[in-house]
Amino acid sequence: MKLHRIKALLVKYFYISINRVDRLFDVVYWPILDVLLWGFASAFIEQVSDFNLLSMALGGVILWIFVWRSSQDIAVFVLEDFWSRNLYHLFSSPVKLSEHIVSIIIWGLVRAIVSFIFLSLISILLYQFNILTISPLFIAAAVALLLLFGWTMGIFITSFILRFGQRIQVLAWSVVWIIQPFSCIFYPLSALPPWAAAIAKVLPTTHVFEGLRSILFGTGQGNLLYAFGITIVLLVGVSFLLAQSFKAAKRKGMLARGGD
Amino acid sequence: MRDIVVSKLRKTFKSKGKEVVAVDNLSFYVTRGEIFGLLGANGAGKSTTINMLAGLVLQDSGTIKLLGKDPKKDWEFVKNRMNVSTAYFPLTDVLTIRQNLRVYAKLYNVKNAEKKIDELLEQFELTKLADKKVVTLSSGERTRTALCKGLINDPQLLFLDECTVGLDPDIAEKTRRIIKDYQKKTGCTILFTSHYMHEVEELCDRIAFMDEGKLLTIATAAQLKKQVKKHQVELTLEDGSDELKELLQEEGLTVLGGRDNMLVFEIDAKSDDVNTIVQRLVKLGLSLKDIHIRKPTLDDIFIHFARRKK
Ligand SMILES: Nc1ncnc2c1ncn2[C@@H]1O[C@H](COP(=O)(O)OP(=O)(O)OP(=O)(O)O)[C@@H](O)[C@H]1O
Ligand SMILES: [Mg+2]
Repeated sequence: MKLHRIKALLVKYFYISINRVDRLFDVVYWPILDVLLWGFASAFIEQVSDFNLLSMALGGVILWIFVWRSSQDIAVFVLEDFWSRNLYHLFSSPVKLSEHIVSIIIWGLVRAIVSFIFLSLISILLYQFNILTISPLFIAAAVALLLLFGWTMGIFITSFILRFGQRIQVLAWSVVWIIQPFSCIFYPLSALPPWAAAIAKVLPTTHVFEGLRSILFGTGQGNLLYAFGITIVLLVGVSFLLAQSFKAAKRKGMLARGGD
Repeated sequence: MRDIVVSKLRKTFKSKGKEVVAVDNLSFYVTRGEIFGLLGANGAGKSTTINMLAGLVLQDSGTIKLLGKDPKKDWEFVKNRMNVSTAYFPLTDVLTIRQNLRVYAKLYNVKNAEKKIDELLEQFELTKLADKKVVTLSSGERTRTALCKGLINDPQLLFLDECTVGLDPDIAEKTRRIIKDYQKKTGCTILFTSHYMHEVEELCDRIAFMDEGKLLTIATAAQLKKQVKKHQVELTLEDGSDELKELLQEEGLTVLGGRDNMLVFEIDAKSDDVNTIVQRLVKLGLSLKDIHIRKPTLDDIFIHFARRKK
């Protein structure tokens, strides 16, 4: 890996962001809507019952940003290179796939941090909820885990795009939302029916949000150690898959075609 | 020194369950400093060959050596010293020309990038458009942008796959000159494809003809032209061409067509037929207005090869 090439790609993403307002938009717009929705819903629930949903819901929304951005950014940036038939120039240059992915990861991280700061400020202003008052050590671990898992999913989707082309582009936006209901962000694992709980327990995200609940309410069955373990295993697995898909894409001539 | 050595290259694609042989047992080499033309009908396998050389498409079998190295092992050495350009793949369309070139300059680790970019923009007459997004450019302007990218790293090895499509005659001529000058100045090696035969003739030192993935021949343009044994003669009389027609038939020459007082016929390249015909015309008291012998062009050669089997 060469730093100047990663820097070159970061410059490209920077240019894309300043040239296209909509790419700045999704850093703040959708997440803010999420915070507003769950903030108001929690405020209402607190009025009619004495259950404190606010910190769990807002904590969940804010942390989810890291999964969302990191997975979607990888897939969407690769897709955009497909659409604009850019892989031709990119991969005839000395860029390696790993440099490509790392640069997107870094850029996605920057975008996630911007979102995180925005949402944290908004929840302090509107709901007097400061996520950093929750155990900083836990938050740091949770963020690291969610990022790793987001990258895992992003790389997973990217391998599919490389293998099957733009036909499956819908995955780029949807996978993160398929995972969400099983991640127990807004409700405890115990609230899920057995079949769903079985899926949820496997997901590392569930363990993060269960962990959040144990800190907030003292009830939860999160196992961060397991979550880290499984995420690393998955990440290694999907990286291998990505390398294979990239080779398959070269064999099929996808880089010089730009999808179909 | 051979900058490109291709040996027994083969590539098949699966398309709707059927196997398409895009490149078949292809072997050739290009010497340092040569401009080598790859010609062939649509689908002959030219782009696939270039894409394999550029590391974009993986071959089924066969070997490639670039700049004396195995590009799979020494990819960084090779890729830093080569570049590709084509009219068919524009640069990132939401970026401006200058932004695109900056990104590629950084990717290739170009020293003095801004100066290089300004030079290229000037050469391809894009300076005024430098801050326009690629998406808003005309197709010829996009093509020129892609050419700037192709030269951004002063490549030692340059692949140009139909890099002049859509350029107006003026800028196309300038582009050919830029390519030629660049080649002279740097002594680089160029693999070139185009469907514009005059361009190929002007630029290429040697030409390879491909057909259905296979190599038909490699030669210089002059050598190729010698392979066409017939020349066309266009002869115009002051009036009446019936006698001329009879005369040609007597000589056993094929009349290809004509109108009014003009006839087009074919002669053997080496024969003395034109002389004979003219002498006989004079004897008959017919006066000659115009005579034109059309030597074969590379277009004729192309058509000759493309229709060979049919
Ligand atoms: N990615 C691909 N998938 C399937 N078939 C392909 C692919 N790329 C090329 N082919 C097929 O391979 C053959 C050679 O194509 P190629 O693009 O190399 O031709 P070409 O000589 O460049 O033609 P043209 O003059 O039209 O540019 C064609 O039959 C084409 O349909
Ligand atoms: Mg082609």
